Amino acid sequence: MKLSCTQENLNRGLGVVGRAVAARTTLPITNNVLLATDESRLKLVATNLEMAISHWIGAKVEEEGDITVPARLLTEFVSSLPSDKVDLSLPANSKTLEVTCARFEARISGVDAKDFPPIPKVSEGINTRVEVNHLRQGITQVVFAVATEESRPVLTGVDAMFEGDLLTLAAADGFRLAVYKLPLATPVSEKTEVIIPGRTLAEVNRLMGDDEEVIDITVNPNKSQILFHMKNTELVSQLVQGTFPQYSQLIPQSSSTKVVVDVAEFLRATRTASIFARDGSGIVRLVATPGSGELTTGKITISARSEELGDDVGEIDATVEGEEAKIAFNGKYIIDVLSVLREKQVVLETTNPSSPGVIRPVGVDNYTHVVMPMFVQW
Amino acid sequence: MATRTLMHIDLDAFFVSVEQVLNPELKGKPVVVGGRPDRRGVVAAASYEARAYGLHSAMPLATAVRLCPQAIFIEGSFPRYREASGKFMAILADFSPFLEPLGLDEAFLDVTGFESLHGSIHRMALAIKQRVSEEQGLCASIGIAGCKVVAKVASDFSKPDGLIEVPAGEERAFLAPLAIDKLPGIGKKTEQRLRGIGVKTIGELSLVPLKALKSHFGASGEVLHHHSNGIDSRKVSPPGEAKSISRETTFDKDLSGRPMLEATLRYLSERVGSDLRNRGKQAKCVTLKLRYADFTTITRSYTLPQTTDADQAIFDTGVQLMRKALAAERQPVRLIGIGVSSLAEPSRQLVLLEPSGKRQEQLNRAIDRIRDRYGFSAIQTGRTLRLRDIFPPNDGGAFQVRETQ
Repeated sequence: MKLSCTQENLNRGLGVVGRAVAARTTLPITNNVLLATDESRLKLVATNLEMAISHWIGAKVEEEGDITVPARLLTEFVSSLPSDKVDLSLPANSKTLEVTCARFEARISGVDAKDFPPIPKVSEGINTRVEVNHLRQGITQVVFAVATEESRPVLTGVDAMFEGDLLTLAAADGFRLAVYKLPLATPVSEKTEVIIPGRTLAEVNRLMGDDEEVIDITVNPNKSQILFHMKNTELVSQLVQGTFPQYSQLIPQSSSTKVVVDVAEFLRATRTASIFARDGSGIVRLVATPGSGELTTGKITISARSEELGDDVGEIDATVEGEEAKIAFNGKYIIDVLSVLREKQVVLETTNPSSPGVIRPVGVDNYTHVVMPMFVQW
Repeated sequence: MATRTLMHIDLDAFFVSVEQVLNPELKGKPVVVGGRPDRRGVVAAASYEARAYGLHSAMPLATAVRLCPQAIFIEGSFPRYREASGKFMAILADFSPFLEPLGLDEAFLDVTGFESLHGSIHRMALAIKQRVSEEQGLCASIGIAGCKVVAKVASDFSKPDGLIEVPAGEERAFLAPLAIDKLPGIGKKTEQRLRGIGVKTIGELSLVPLKALKSHFGASGEVLHHHSNGIDSRKVSPPGEAKSISRETTFDKDLSGRPMLEATLRYLSERVGSDLRNRGKQAKCVTLKLRYADFTTITRSYTLPQTTDADQAIFDTGVQLMRKALAAERQPVRLIGIGVSSLAEPSRQLVLLEPSGKRQEQLNRAIDRIRDRYGFSAIQTGRTLRLRDIFPPNDGGAFQVRETQ
C-alpha cells in the first residue's frame, strides 16, 4: 500500500470514524482503525460491533493495500502533524505502517486487515431518503429521552416507524416519552418499524454535515441492521431487537389545565429552581393560576426548596386555561425538553398531580413530549 | 473542657414494670415478657424476681422455663411500652432540654448548672425518680457523673431503684474494681479477647498501654482506653433531625454463609426502611458496613438515582455492595450493618411505563401497619425466616441493633 493525502483530510476522517472505535472491548482489533485503498480514495473504517463508520477521503493511490493500526495512536499522531501532505506506505509483507509528513516519520505496528470484523453490507431492503434538517431536528428532540440504563434494552433505542411518507421517532425511558413526526423525501414501499440504538442516532446527528441536504436510509430485509448513507460517510448499525411499548395510549387525550408560556422564560425559571433542587431528587413545583378576568393574565410559579440550602420561587406570565394546577416534576426532565425546542412558546397540559404532563410546541403539531410528575407532599 | 454534669436515667425492668403497673397482681413475682413458653423465642425482659433465678434478656424461653417454672410469661405489647416511654421522656424534658433518649427506657440528660434550681444535682435526681414513680409507677435508676460512660456505668451499678453520684476526679476509682463487661461497648467477643490477655476488671483495662489496645482492637482500642479511664468527651445531643439512619448487628459467631448474611441484611434493611417511613423521609444514599473476623471494618456506599424508602431498594443495594465486598475479601464477617443517608422529604418519580413500584409501596405500608400494632416480628419476609431464633420479639433481645444519628 502506498498513497498520499492531506493532513487535514486524514485528520478529519479519523475524527469521523473515531467515535465508532471500541472503548472497552474483548476483541482488541476493534481498537484499531482500518485503512484501505478504494479506487482513488482512502477508506477509513472503525467498528465497535454495534455500529461501524466508514469514511472516504481523497488520496493519490500508487499501490493498493490495507492494514489496521491502533486508532488512538494514529489519530493523536496525525492531529499533531503540520498541515502538509501525508504519505502512508506499507512495504510488501510488512505489518508496519509508515507515516511521513514534512520532516516527521512514524512507524506504527499494525494488524492484518483480514482479521478486522467484516462490516455488514446493507444494500437491499427498505430504502428511503430524508432531508437532513428534518432528521437532525427529529433526533435532537427525541434522543435525550432514551433510557441510559440497560435493564430494558428496547428503551435504549429510538423507535422509528416508517409509513408512507412519514417517519415517526419515539423515545421513552420509563418516566418520559418524546414523539416526533417528520416527512420522508422518498416514501417507503411498506410500513416498517425498527428500534435504532440511541447512540447510533446521536452519531448520525453528529455526522450529518452542513453541506449535505439529504441522507439515504436502508433497513435490511430481516430488520437487524440499518445503514445511513451520507456523502462521504456510511454508518451501519445493529438494530435493537424486541417490541417497543405501545406508546400512543400513554399520551393523555384530555387535560384540565392548559398553560401557554414562553419557552425561554420557562426554561430560565426551571433552571433557577433546579439549583435549589439538587439535593432533593430535582423536584421543582409548578403552580399555574388562571387570570382573574380579561385584563389580568394568568401566571405560573416554579419553585424548589431544600431543607439545607433554602428555597427559590420564580414567576412568569402565562395564559392559563382551565383550573388552577399544582404539579411537581424532576426539573431535569423539563430542562431537557425545553432546551431542544426551536419554537418560541409551548403549551403544558396537566390533569392532576399524579397524571402525566404533556408539553407541545405552539404552532407545530409534529412533536409531543409526555413527562410523568413526581409525587410530593405539598 | 469545662466540668460538665451528666445524668444517665434508666428505667428498671422496663417492659415488666409496665405490665406490673397495668396488672398489680404481677408485682413481686417472677415475670417474663417475651412470649408463651411453649413457643420458640427469647426473653425480652425479666423482673428482678425472675432474674434471681438466673433469667436474663435474650435467653431462650425454653431455658427460662427450665430455670424458673413458676414464672409468669406474658407476650407483651410494644405500643404500650412506646406510650410509657413517651411519658417518661416528657418528664425528663421538664427537667432539662438537653435530653438524648437511648432506646425506649433510658436517656442522658445534661444538667450542667442546674444545681441552683433544685438545691443540688442529687436532689434533682431524686425529684426525677419521684415524678417517674408517682406519675408512672415505674422505678428509675440514675447515675450522675462528668461524662456519659461513667454516668451509664453508675446507673447500671445502682440498679434497682438506685442513685449514684460519681464526683469529679473519682471516675477511675469508681470504675476500677468493676468487671470489664460492665463497660458499655464491651460485648461477649471483646470480653473474651480481653480475658485472653489477662484483663478482668476495668481498672486492669485502664492500665493496658494504649498502643497495645490499638494493635488488638484497632480504632476501638482507643475508645476502650479512654472509657476505662473515665474519659469520654461525647456530648449529650438532642436527637433533632436525623441525618442518617442505620442498623447493625454483631454475630455471636463469625459468619461466612451468604444466605445467613443476606437474611440478616434483609432484616436490618427492613428495620431501616421502617424507620425511614415512620419519620416520613426518603434516602438517596445506602451504606453497607462490614467488619471482618480480623476486625478490619469497611463501609461501601451507593447513591441511588432517586430517593427511596422501600425495604427492597435498600436491601437490593446493600446486597450488591456486600457481594462486591465479599468477592474482594474472603473472610468471615463479624458485624454487618446498613444505613441510609442524604435524607429528603418523601417524593417519588411516577412511572410512565410500568407501575410496579406502587404495589411495592403499598406492601411496605401494610407491613408497617401490622408491625405498629403487633410488633416488628409479627410479620416477616421469607428471606429472614432463617433468623427466627435470634429475631427479637420486640426491640430488645439478642439481636443488638444500634441506631446512629
